[in-house]
Amino acid sequence: MTGLRVRHRRTTALDGVDLAFGPGVHGLLGPNAAGKTSLIRVLATVAAPSDGRVEILGEDVGDHRRRGRVRGRLGYLPQEFGYYPGFTVREFVSYVAWLKEMPATATPAAVERAVARVGLTDRIDAKIRTLSGGMIRRVGIAQAVVNEPHILLFDEPTAGLDPEQRVEFRALLRRLGADATVIVSTHLVEDVAAACTEVTLVDAGQIAYRGTPGSLAALGGSEDGSGDSAIERGFMAALRAHRAPSAAREVSP
Amino acid sequence: MTAIGPRLYARSRALWPTLAALVGTTGFALWAAHLMDAYLDPSRRVPVVALAPLMAAAVIGTSLYTASDELDRTAVRPWWPRRLVQLLGLSAVAAALLPTAVLGDTLVFGPPAMIRNTLGSTGVTAAAAVLFGARLSWLPAFGYVSAVYLASGGARGPAVTVWAWPMQPGPQTGAWAAALAAFAAGGALYVARGARPEGARV
Repeated sequence: MTGLRVRHRRTTALDGVDLAFGPGVHGLLGPNAAGKTSLIRVLATVAAPSDGRVEILGEDVGDHRRRGRVRGRLGYLPQEFGYYPGFTVREFVSYVAWLKEMPATATPAAVERAVARVGLTDRIDAKIRTLSGGMIRRVGIAQAVVNEPHILLFDEPTAGLDPEQRVEFRALLRRLGADATVIVSTHLVEDVAAACTEVTLVDAGQIAYRGTPGSLAALGGSEDGSGDSAIERGFMAALRAHRAPSAAREVSP
Repeated sequence: MTAIGPRLYARSRALWPTLAALVGTTGFALWAAHLMDAYLDPSRRVPVVALAPLMAAAVIGTSLYTASDELDRTAVRPWWPRRLVQLLGLSAVAAALLPTAVLGDTLVFGPPAMIRNTLGSTGVTAAAAVLFGARLSWLPAFGYVSAVYLASGGARGPAVTVWAWPMQPGPQTGAWAAALAAFAAGGALYVARGARPEGARV
């Protein structure tokens, strides 16, 4: 994406962002209202940028026909994905497969595979309203992977998951990232440290830092800084550097 | 995914409960129309012709709600054909059912007025679904028709046939033009934009 600008009424959510993502797991970190969700929504083609160009899988998504082609190869888990309480897990994931125009013959097996990936096979015919919050989140992950997407976009995917489920989800992310481009927006730095191959720090609608989780952790320096882990200290150091204009150029790659 | 997909889509939009509610509205209108003493007060058909379409429009409007708006936006195909079919289909069902409640009075407040009011109210409701969200979409039409019901009694002049279209007799051309314009504009707006997302992200 080049020169990406997103405005919400009078506020600027993203301001002239240039970014490129390749295969692997990319963590989008940043404080609240930094612009992470706006970026994910533009990449998911559900929000249009005010300015700039976005190309996904070689297709300019500004063109509605090309956008349709991209959507079939894209998986998306929004912060609040919205579900039909009366649907079973199988029905809901099948509904999303239908939205993605998956072939009828391939859908039942793809649905079962996606549900198995999130460990909900034993609840596949349960109504969603009977599931716990964490299980519903896993249904959201299942719908995102049902079409074996080339690009996966997760917005705060671990919210509501218990520690064991988060560990399992990180392992799933690593498996998915082997073949696809996975972009995970989160404010949990430990998720990024554990699962991501690259990290992009967004602050006030701009890219504050790009690098690996290791390089971000290295920014933290000694244990004197604020933060309980090396990557948290690195996160704080990168934010401070971005907010102090003269120093920003030194830390941004 | 040709067979189960549309079925799931219909369920996601509460199609069967909506159809049942339209049948129930018709039954209620039928009961109310025959309960009235037309000999003592012939104009008492007006409440049925004004309010039953309003109830049907409310049923249709709330059925335009989608819980998974954010995911629906990632659909490969454009949404407008599905929205068009849904709105036209439900409007056609309501416009076919409701006139059976007032079959006796064909000239003044009979089936033509009922059909006109059904289309007009549905158009206003569809526009309100785009502007305010599907779950509150009944409110503007309810407010407008109620206000017209109360205010149009003593009003005279050619403009009244347009702004007070829900209270006009069946053959009134100005009322038909206003109701059809509301249906076309509201329907086109809904088909193009869809209902306003509700919930955390609006």
